[in-house]
Amino acid sequence: MTVSSPSVLLRAEGISKSFPGVRALHRVNLEVRAGEVHALLGENGAGKSTLMHILAGVFPPDGGSLYLDGQAASFTSPHAAQVAGIAMVFQERSLAGPLSVAENVFFGRQPVGRWGVINSRRLYRDTLEVLAELDIQLDPDTAVEFLSPAEQQMVEIAKALSIKARLLVLDEPTSTLTETEITTLFRVIGLLRDRGVGIIYISHRMAEVFRICDRLTVLRDGEDQGTFDLGDVSEEQLIGKMVEREFRYRQAGPVRSAVAREAALEIQGLSDRTLLREISFQAHAGQITALAGLAGSGRTELALAIFGARPITAGRILIQGRPAQIRSPREAIRAGIGYLPEDRKEAGLFLEMGLAANFGAASLERFGCWWLDDGAMEEEAAAAATHLRLTNLRARSVHELSGGSQQKIMLARWLLVRPPIFIIDEPTRGIDIGAKMEVHELLRKLAVEGATVLLISSELPEVLSLADRILVMREGSLAGEIPRPEATEETILRLAALPHSIHAHARA
Amino acid sequence: MPVPEATASPVASTGPTARRGRFRLTRETVLLLLMLAGVIGATIAFPRSFPTWANLTSLLRNTALDGVMACGMVVLMVGGVFDLSIGSMFSMIGVLTAWMLTTARMPPLLAIPAGLALATLGGTLNGWMVAKVKVNALIATLGTMQVFRGIAVLVGGPGIANLPPGFVRIGQAEWLGLQSPIWLLMAVAVAGQYLLAKTRFFRKYYYIGANPKAALLSGISVERMQIFSFGLMGLLAGLAGMTFAARVATATSTSGDGAELRIITAVILGGASLSGGRGTVWGTLAGVLFISLINNIMIFARLSPEWQSIIIGCVLVIAVAMDRFLGAKR
Repeated sequence: MTVSSPSVLLRAEGISKSFPGVRALHRVNLEVRAGEVHALLGENGAGKSTLMHILAGVFPPDGGSLYLDGQAASFTSPHAAQVAGIAMVFQERSLAGPLSVAENVFFGRQPVGRWGVINSRRLYRDTLEVLAELDIQLDPDTAVEFLSPAEQQMVEIAKALSIKARLLVLDEPTSTLTETEITTLFRVIGLLRDRGVGIIYISHRMAEVFRICDRLTVLRDGEDQGTFDLGDVSEEQLIGKMVEREFRYRQAGPVRSAVAREAALEIQGLSDRTLLREISFQAHAGQITALAGLAGSGRTELALAIFGARPITAGRILIQGRPAQIRSPREAIRAGIGYLPEDRKEAGLFLEMGLAANFGAASLERFGCWWLDDGAMEEEAAAAATHLRLTNLRARSVHELSGGSQQKIMLARWLLVRPPIFIIDEPTRGIDIGAKMEVHELLRKLAVEGATVLLISSELPEVLSLADRILVMREGSLAGEIPRPEATEETILRLAALPHSIHAHARA
Repeated sequence: MPVPEATASPVASTGPTARRGRFRLTRETVLLLLMLAGVIGATIAFPRSFPTWANLTSLLRNTALDGVMACGMVVLMVGGVFDLSIGSMFSMIGVLTAWMLTTARMPPLLAIPAGLALATLGGTLNGWMVAKVKVNALIATLGTMQVFRGIAVLVGGPGIANLPPGFVRIGQAEWLGLQSPIWLLMAVAVAGQYLLAKTRFFRKYYYIGANPKAALLSGISVERMQIFSFGLMGLLAGLAGMTFAARVATATSTSGDGAELRIITAVILGGASLSGGRGTVWGTLAGVLFISLINNIMIFARLSPEWQSIIIGCVLVIAVAMDRFLGAKR
């Protein structure tokens, strides 16, 4: 019998797991108490998701044991884990879009009458009850697909709660949320914690971890680096544990001066049907111009509009002072614009295709005007891969690569096209710190070499360390520009969100 | 049977960028092995009737026009769409061409290009609905399938016979002992294989099928490409329907019935998938030949034709399931 403090909810001891050719976890320990928010930190590939999959019963560990309430437990299926009270909310939503909130919350467990007919009255009532417990205002009859990402996430949490979950795993829950929505989420997390639910919180965002977590465990290369109380460690120390090398966000260097006085890209009064209103700005060659703003403020939509992938209703786009006719991405590329989308998997990569095919996708004409020279494409792709320090060259499809490598392939694709204007949307979302530094270095180099870089990023430290100019968007229009000397996370946020209440902490 | 390499990725090995060199158990190779086994078996069982020139050419002749249409279908399927209207198109263009030749007394030199133009137009209409109006390909072509069939019956009644000899000769001509449909198939297949596997233009269909959104953002004109592939499909279906009418000297409004599903089956057997991004012309031809070989052997074995559907149905499901199994092992 193992001895453990009474409040320990879940204990994982010496968990190991290997996949062909990879040691994903090696003797990892994790202890989660009832009523705590426990952060799980680590770079991509550190083993966080493998560990969570083991907890969720997706696959068994090769070695080690799990204890729930001090009792040895082993989950043979996700269902078994659910029955034991473990619920997961992954980044990918697992909701049925056309079905209602109620149907989703009680998915597969709808209250039924005789003959197995669903009792919709009771379903509605029960759902209201669960939502009320979380203090969430939602109509149980709304179809989930009409909800915002944040509301959908609330539905997922309500679902977890309705199975009487005692351990809730949240995997990067804030990556698609706005600041206000994050506040709501944190309030709900606080509620659950007070009720004695143990919460495992996975996030790349340090600030959030410090905001709501009580303890944390760091994973690196499949081994745990210890568990700490939040009060005992600094951000620097944690990052040091995650990457083993002292790391500091590079402070912004001297602002690069524009190569030419004339704007390389000028937007005049651009509007679209639903969101963008009267946007005008200039971006200069040789500089990184950042578009900051909260999620939903229209940054990505603006990028798509400039790139010809979103119809506009008014406005002009001038390139090197001349109006450009851009009605499709093809025309945008011809006009000298490249766009790296925010969602690599969804809109950037051809996941089932190989490295070379992904690399050459935007410059097929380079490899032959009638016949395609696959050999040349492979060769150039291999050269670019070496140049960008891509390791897993043998991968047959890019689907097998890490987020960082995938992002590098996207960059390589556009470096091959070499447009004078780069629009880069969330270049480091979900990639590990090492790859992030390399991507930053590359963006700086692009600007120094005379490209016009338009950077969209939700990570303010990234904006601050890269940008020469900072434009802030709010609700579909340009809220203003923050002069470089005055730029701090605080000033940017203040401009991005309307007045007060954005720094409200969940922890009362 | 050779042991499949555990890491064989069906995805990578059925596209044009598949790595060469080591042997992989792809859909095409499995099909060829099965066909080889079938041919050897049938030769042993029916040594006097099966391996004869007459039997083999008739087998090919009956398959040729399916093969021509399948070459168009594989392009669509690589791009992630398909066309259910091709059986109706086959019949409609046969009937319309026959009508132009008989009732309208147009010379073949005018009626043939006119028929092909109508076929391309019909296909382009499908493409326009799918690419521009954003109607799901299944629904759009399910609609035109019935429209085209209706037009065929309206114009042709049960059928139009007594086609002029100048036209009929086109479908019945022989050269080196092979009838014209076989030559047509060879021309379309050889051209198709090289175009689809080697040209920049057709390579874009693999990108579109793999991820249409990413293809668009990489500067590929997805809509135009889709419209073109449907137009090409219409042209090939019309060409096949016209050749068939010429070969049997009659254009019937029931011909080509069920061709769409038979051909989609063949294309999938040959390595393509409904979700796009995969498929080759060689594989497609192997699929088409496989189906007709089974059919042929059934006839010799004096088994009722129902056995043909049962066997092909099983092979289709097993082949696709095997893919998933091999894919999951990665």
